[in-house]
Amino acid sequence: MISGEKLVQLVSSLLQQVYALLDLSAYAGILDRVVCAVVMFGFVAVFVMFLVWMERKVSAHMQSRIGPNRVGPLGLLQTLADAIKLTTKEDVRPAKRDKIPYFIAPILAFVATFMGMVVVPFDNKMVVADLNIGVLYIIAITSFTVIAILSAGWSSNNKYSLLGGFRSAAQIVSYEVPLVLSLVPVIMITGKLNFSGIVQYQQQAGYWFVFPQFVAFITFIASATAEANRAPFDIPEAESELTGGFHTEYSGVKFAMFFLGEYVAVVVSSAVAATVFLGGWLPPLHFLGFIPGFVWFMLKVLLIIYLIMAFRWTFPRLRVDQLMDFGWKVLIPVTILNILVTGFVVLLFGKGA
Amino acid sequence: MGTILGYFRNILTGFWNLVLGLSVTTKYLFKKTNTQQYPEERMPLPARSRSMIKLIYDGEKDQFNCVACMMCAKACPNSCIKLEGVRGPDGKRRMTTFKLDFSTCIFCGYCVEACGFDALTFVSEEYENSVYKRGSLLQDEQAMKWVRPPHLAPKPEEPAATAAGAQA
Amino acid sequence: MTDLLLSQIKPGGESPFGTDEYVVNMGPQHPATHGVLRLVVKLDGETVKETMPVLGYLHRSIEKICENRTYPQCITYTDRVDYVSAMSVNLAFALATERLMGLEAPPRAQWLRMIFVELQRLASHLLWMGAFAGDIGALTPFLYGLRERERILDLFEMTCGQRLTYNYIRIGGVMIDILPEFVPKCRAFLDYFDPKIPEYEELLTYNPIFLERTKGVGVITPEVGINCGVCGPSLRGSGVSCDVRKQHPYLFYDQVKFNECLENDGDCWARYKVRMNEMRESVSIIRQCLDRLEPGPIETKLPPILKAPPASEIYFRIESSRGEMGIYLVGDGTPKPYKAKFRCASFSNTFVLDQLTRGWKVADIMAVLGSLDMIVPEVDR
Repeated sequence: MISGEKLVQLVSSLLQQVYALLDLSAYAGILDRVVCAVVMFGFVAVFVMFLVWMERKVSAHMQSRIGPNRVGPLGLLQTLADAIKLTTKEDVRPAKRDKIPYFIAPILAFVATFMGMVVVPFDNKMVVADLNIGVLYIIAITSFTVIAILSAGWSSNNKYSLLGGFRSAAQIVSYEVPLVLSLVPVIMITGKLNFSGIVQYQQQAGYWFVFPQFVAFITFIASATAEANRAPFDIPEAESELTGGFHTEYSGVKFAMFFLGEYVAVVVSSAVAATVFLGGWLPPLHFLGFIPGFVWFMLKVLLIIYLIMAFRWTFPRLRVDQLMDFGWKVLIPVTILNILVTGFVVLLFGKGA
Repeated sequence: MGTILGYFRNILTGFWNLVLGLSVTTKYLFKKTNTQQYPEERMPLPARSRSMIKLIYDGEKDQFNCVACMMCAKACPNSCIKLEGVRGPDGKRRMTTFKLDFSTCIFCGYCVEACGFDALTFVSEEYENSVYKRGSLLQDEQAMKWVRPPHLAPKPEEPAATAAGAQA
Repeated sequence: MTDLLLSQIKPGGESPFGTDEYVVNMGPQHPATHGVLRLVVKLDGETVKETMPVLGYLHRSIEKICENRTYPQCITYTDRVDYVSAMSVNLAFALATERLMGLEAPPRAQWLRMIFVELQRLASHLLWMGAFAGDIGALTPFLYGLRERERILDLFEMTCGQRLTYNYIRIGGVMIDILPEFVPKCRAFLDYFDPKIPEYEELLTYNPIFLERTKGVGVITPEVGINCGVCGPSLRGSGVSCDVRKQHPYLFYDQVKFNECLENDGDCWARYKVRMNEMRESVSIIRQCLDRLEPGPIETKLPPILKAPPASEIYFRIESSRGEMGIYLVGDGTPKPYKAKFRCASFSNTFVLDQLTRGWKVADIMAVLGSLDMIVPEVDR
């Protein structure tokens, strides 16, 4: 029987042998991390490509269309073809751009969101860095996107881009709050800031947090959608208003980085939601435990990603002030109320409520 | 108290309506798609489709039906038809050159309706009319030559020309 | 006009903080302007201070061209005035010319005209619904709308051979009689279409985001609407009864039962609701027309060369998909109109835009523009 833990052991023992062969055993600790990060990067890159394909397929079928079906089986290689197209494209740059932020913004957008992935456990012990403040780290690191988008909007020297950048700044700052607040009840119950710990708590308790914390789950999904700039909260790029918003002036590889960054943000939010609310690598029923944990984890991630995609292709877009209203007048009161109720219940019934 | 209740009721009904909307798109996710994959799957156009204008060529008599009566050229709103004819040895007029500029033709069908000699017709089979050079849209009688297949012989109850077009 | 506008803006402005007005050119190439409409928008942050539509990017001088064409030839140009609802403009021109010359189309032709114009209204409203939802950010209704519209276009193509520029409704009748299989196919389409409207409504009408974006946004009060010349469904959203089909019936609209759809709020949502209800009414009108369709001639005998009486003029209006479509014709005894003037609903509806968007947000321009159902070729002609 294969499990994430055994896989990790196997790989690390293999790596030990390689280090021994290359006489690098002294640096094993660092090298392990490097290998992990590279593997994670490759995995996320491929997964995001799959997601782009999935989004196009899902949206197509929702609209009675077929979607990509030409490149590769079922059009699976379509994203690869698009990526090749984007990378070989001429990099068109506005003449009066602000050079340094213009260059850094797409990199930051991609890297900042990607870095969130390293603390998410795919299976028991199958995690790049099992930080004991993982939740805090992920919230801190993903909010870097706002700097990327703001500098992209500013440096493009385009009116639409600037509007998009401003909108993004306002949006991400306000949705950061409900995002954190919807994770707080879970942290209150478990007393842990570590993702593996939260999953282990769900394993011992025998239930997933989506059931006692359904409201928090919904608010988390909503604010995570806003964090990732996805419709119905995609006002920074709102194509029917601002043509392309902050990435109007980007083309080629830089545009691809923004594009991928958006999807990585979706993956990170879905991974966090799957871990915190849907029990991470735990199987839904006990007898299904023969299927390895990382498969369950990926299935849950895909489920949430599907939900976010369905939002995008079903709902209209909110206006910028309504977006603020929704964040401050609906999401935050609801999450605070949820925290109060949870705190009350935890007080009454002890930590295991 | 009522406003607080209303606040939560609003949130709940809003949430429910979002779920309703999601149910519609999710329903279509599993339904059959509507797409026709064009170059492989070709749509047979209806017989009346105005997709290409052709000059009818009579294989038996080895000549075009056109007698250069100029009715089509007069009916054309864009003056995109240019034709010339001569009186033949048998005393009947025959078309010598016929030029139709498809770059300005709007396929209104007046020329076909105005034609009283069954010389112009629309064909529905040929609808891929795009070309690489604008010049190739100026077609002459050889390019527009079309022999009517036997199964498309004109029916007596459907006269080739209706009156309205002939007004022009 | 624009240069004037731009020159009025001085750097520094009047504010002590030295804030500047932010002038954004929306269009002529912009995803939301439905073609080549250009809006010069003055912004204060996100808030709109002024919206100025700049017209003329799609001007083809159709009215002038009509002066050099015979009356039947003009019909082909009316197709291009409003290509989303070409049948309506065909009908308006044909009816105006018939009135000018004292002609009357036979009953079967009238019923056929009604069927096709109402089908066209369905097609036009479907496209509008998709585009409106797209402007607001929901992309899926556009595809749903087009899917149904394709079926209507199939019916058109089956009958007259074209999908967009029909040239079907002619002076004195229609171009060609319908095929025998048209009636069952049309009924089948209506049966297919009936359950689709509730589906769109489920997707949009009470969606809280849609409500937020459209309720109370871009309110046209009846006074403003009438003063600015707003017409059609956009004015009926404000509760003003202005349906030409009811008030000055043409064709056989006085013989079929249908309701004039009215809403009282005058906001984007009311206009949306009016159009959705109009689709239902159109379905019922088409059903009644199909029931009453009887065999007979489809065109009157016309003189070989159609000439208007000398020094004659006519203004005739119909209710096109977008509102009141008026045709003003002056005849001078020749086969060509001396003057043709198209009074288009989109053109008059455009000028309420500035009033509706002042003080609102950038995104509301899209919502209002979408809800007014503008077609740029009709604005510019």
